[in-house]
Amino acid sequence: MNDSERRDFQAGLESEVDAFLKGESTRRTFITRFGQMTGMLAVSGPVLGMMTDWAVAQQKLELADPASPLGQAQALALKASTEGPADGSAFRATKAAKQFPGVTINMTSEAGLQALDPRNFSGPMWEQLTGTKMNVVELSNPDQYSKAVAEHIAGSRAYDVLDISPAWTPSLADGGVIAPLDEFITKYMNMKDFEDFHPLYKALPTYKGKIWGFFDDGDIFALYYRKDIFEDPKMMEAYQAKFNGKLEAPKTWAEYNQIAQFITDQMAPKTYGAGHFRKAGSPGNQFDFLQQFRANGGKLFGDDMKAGLVSDAGVATLTSMVASNAASIPGNNELDAVSLWAAFLTGKVAMIYSWPPTGRMAGNYSQSATAINFIPQSQIAGKVGYAVVPGNPEHAVGYNKALAADSANLEASYLFMQWVTSPEVSLARVMLPYALRDPYRISHYKSDLYGGLFPGAKEYLINLNNSANVGLLDPIMPGAQDYFLSLDRMCTAVWAGADPKASLETAATEWNETTDRLGVESQKAFYTEFLKLPGATAENTVEKLGLAVKL
Amino acid sequence: MTTQTITRMQAAGPPRRLSRFGQWADRHFKWLLVAPAVLLILALSIYPLLFSLVVSFINYDFQVPGHAFVGLKNFERVVFDPVARWSLFLTAWLSAISVAIEFVLGLLVALTMVKSFPGRGVIMSILIVPLFISPVIVGQAWTLLLQRPFGPTNYLLTQLLGQEVTIGWMTERPWLYISLIVADVWQWTPFMFVILLAGLTAIPPNLYEAAELDGVSAWQAFWAITLPHLAPMMLLALTFRLLDAIRMFDTIFIMTGGGPGTQTYTASYYLYTVGFTQFHLSQATAGSWLFLIFTAFVVTLLVRRLLKTEPV
Repeated sequence: MNDSERRDFQAGLESEVDAFLKGESTRRTFITRFGQMTGMLAVSGPVLGMMTDWAVAQQKLELADPASPLGQAQALALKASTEGPADGSAFRATKAAKQFPGVTINMTSEAGLQALDPRNFSGPMWEQLTGTKMNVVELSNPDQYSKAVAEHIAGSRAYDVLDISPAWTPSLADGGVIAPLDEFITKYMNMKDFEDFHPLYKALPTYKGKIWGFFDDGDIFALYYRKDIFEDPKMMEAYQAKFNGKLEAPKTWAEYNQIAQFITDQMAPKTYGAGHFRKAGSPGNQFDFLQQFRANGGKLFGDDMKAGLVSDAGVATLTSMVASNAASIPGNNELDAVSLWAAFLTGKVAMIYSWPPTGRMAGNYSQSATAINFIPQSQIAGKVGYAVVPGNPEHAVGYNKALAADSANLEASYLFMQWVTSPEVSLARVMLPYALRDPYRISHYKSDLYGGLFPGAKEYLINLNNSANVGLLDPIMPGAQDYFLSLDRMCTAVWAGADPKASLETAATEWNETTDRLGVESQKAFYTEFLKLPGATAENTVEKLGLAVKL
Repeated sequence: MTTQTITRMQAAGPPRRLSRFGQWADRHFKWLLVAPAVLLILALSIYPLLFSLVVSFINYDFQVPGHAFVGLKNFERVVFDPVARWSLFLTAWLSAISVAIEFVLGLLVALTMVKSFPGRGVIMSILIVPLFISPVIVGQAWTLLLQRPFGPTNYLLTQLLGQEVTIGWMTERPWLYISLIVADVWQWTPFMFVILLAGLTAIPPNLYEAAELDGVSAWQAFWAITLPHLAPMMLLALTFRLLDAIRMFDTIFIMTGGGPGTQTYTASYYLYTVGFTQFHLSQATAGSWLFLIFTAFVVTLLVRRLLKTEPV
């Protein structure tokens, strides 16, 4: 060791020894502590996991006051599950599910309000009835599909029951993500209960001759208007004088625009004639365009699968929608669905068309749930009339309960699906004040209990049924979200001043690109399947097929 | 080594002999220390990055079964998509304008706040509050202020100007761009302010004292002393902020939803829409790589400039 090395050695030794004597960390103590920390982290993972499981675990079954209509409906659901009738779908499902005690069913649900029913009502009730464990997996809307597909690709068997939009049925069925229910239906379901679905919804989960889910959310648009304004003698008189006609719920879009403009002229700024959810990304644009376009005789696709948007019907639809906007509340084009509800409930708007919760909110029923208290209290309760949207109303999205093909518990999961959509249980679910699931069975529309939920509920139900009789379905085929997005862009561009014809052409180009990307022949086959469904076009609505339900 | 140390060493006795594992661990200690971090980076960054590269050359679309190799098709779709080109242009344009305004305002506020005055601490605390708010909340707050018919902005302007104001702040050009810029500037000017204030306080005060003795005006002192000394911090602040600004997504998602039409599609919003609304994941991934290359180009230019900057 030369002098230099010796100096270096001594300096190193000195610092190390000093550190040792001062009790400073050595490598060994560092490793020990690092090991301890790693161990603590390893332990904390499961502990945190358990705490999270506890936090998001199923709630206790929440039941309403037994004397209330909802309480009675819930009691009937329990009775149908435990006492029968013995051939009822709810009873059969409950009885059969007792073969699978302790099985866990992982069910996806849109995060937020949609998940409250399975968390607070149907999930805990099913657990109580059968011993099956329910695990509600809350997902954002896009993730309901992306995760389902990703988990299927990974083969993780993460989900058993999927909440999906009907538009996704063909993609998920062909992709092997969801399983057909036909065998289970034959084995377990009372077909009388199957016939209880409104005809618009009964065939909706059918694809290539098989049933790929149970319909579970009657999202039909309906017109809600201020009866007090329409029946005001002064307003009626003024309208008669100006248009030589009766002021009543509009039956055509021209009447709709005329009445909206009339009310705005007479009552603004206190109340405006109409309001729409037209904000970009808010689905109001695409649904409104689709319902008016088809009611105006428009065809979505030609025989060669080229987009049929650029047509007289397309231009007429956009022109009419622009006229509606002009007759509406200022800021109409900036409203989303919730803002529009707020405007209607606070009396700023005389007419809106939207999803069914509008009626329950207008009757101040929904707001009785704390989960919905972000919606203002209705200042128009008892003043609301219900009518069918002019032409044909859109059935905007909806939900199917579908069976995940990879489920490790196919039969147990199916039984839950049958039970939760059975007439008695589904009635109790669509009556929940926080429900975003809307009536879809004939028995729902006829229910006296539902009719007693709020003043005017019976008329509300009749109108939902009548709307479904002439309702139109969203396109159910792969690429639906691409087609919808193009419509939304097209509409909002027109609201901002773009030329309607040019915008239709841009949207048509995008539609054609989407069709080409997915394969023209393949898309043609999907579209042909879609056209077989009642409500696919204005020419084959439930009513025109002679299947209308009269209440 | 002190005598005291030697005495202590003797008291402590000879060091314990290390085991074979101990000797091995001792030799490779530095590698053991960095190994967990390296493994984490590999697992969480490198693997996804490489996987995304693979995805951009195959079909990965939830509506088209299979993962066939498609070559450059996904990149081609992005490059020839007019919406993608517009979104890239808008990203550059919005980022440049927002960051420029934030820089000027941030500098002005920093120059104001560099000297002590009563209440300075409270004002500074209030000024930096927007930095701690999620951009989603910022977007929602500005929506509530601007959205008709409920937002108070048009009403206040009507009262101030004495004539009815009916601006569609989130649906009409150019107001929608102004709204987005205002929201961004409101949130991120404090970032510029904080960085620039740190730079200003680091300038030696004796330079200003000397300048004052020489009779230099305030404006000359700013040009000759403040600006050169602050330049590296300015570039740093601009680089950081620009990198963040080109990812603009949240406020657009909340305030305009990309609309009307595609008028407020930024690159991030475009990629989100393609990936998570349309589920064309491979196209979105290819677009992300193109965007990354574009960003890397800008970053390289800025960082090179930053590294070249030498203190005066």
